[in-house]
Amino acid sequence: MNRSLIAACLLAVMATTPLVAGAATATGNAEAGRAKVYTCHGCHGVPGYANAYPNYRVPRIAGQNEQYLINALHEYQSGDRSHPTMSAQADSLSDQDIADIAAYLASFAKSP
Amino acid sequence: MSRNKDRIIMQRALTLSLACVFALMSGAALASGDIAAGKQKSATCAACHGPDGNATADGQYPRLAGQYADYVVQALHEYQAGTREHPAVGSIRRGNAIMQGMAAPLTDQDIDNLAAYYASLPGKLSDLHGKVQGGD
Repeated sequence: MNRSLIAACLLAVMATTPLVAGAATATGNAEAGRAKVYTCHGCHGVPGYANAYPNYRVPRIAGQNEQYLINALHEYQSGDRSHPTMSAQADSLSDQDIADIAAYLASFAKSP
Repeated sequence: MSRNKDRIIMQRALTLSLACVFALMSGAALASGDIAAGKQKSATCAACHGPDGNATADGQYPRLAGQYADYVVQALHEYQAGTREHPAVGSIRRGNAIMQGMAAPLTDQDIDNLAAYYASLPGKLSDLHGKVQGGD
């Protein structure tokens, strides 16, 4: 009796875990992301475009890994990563925007 | 006549000073790294970023192959700075615990070498140029 109760509880936890995880992460839509990267293009679309101070070229982000991009944008939002321009950009994005942008950018690595 | 000469001298001085500024800027932008030394140092990085710098096993780690070398240099200095103000990175910081630990023991030369190595590898990274709706 006791054992089956524990088993039932475990099953219940296992069944709800994916739902909770699913709610926390928005599913990215690459096609929607295509329309949302217009602003990114201003810096990341110019080959060799450099950050003014300190002076270094802004990273290539097309073809970057999806989860890394999602994490990076959330880190700019939380302040774990600080960059004046990127923090401002990330603050204007919803979780869905971030997921869409990451899906679109990552899609370039999938084409041969 | 003399005014014309003055103007030529002024123009030359301006050109020379612009050339100096440009030389200084490109010196800062182009890391003078040793690719072979960077490859040797990259064994630890490979565990997450992939043996070829393409980090395909786990999507949470960035691809480094084909990334701009000076961006990689900047990123590693940001990890070293952590959450502190640092002359090399100004107010730009990264608080990632794993990478702070990885970057901490690296010398400036190690960083230049690693960046040169990863920038030299063929990868799938590119600029957004030509990939924007309605843009070019």
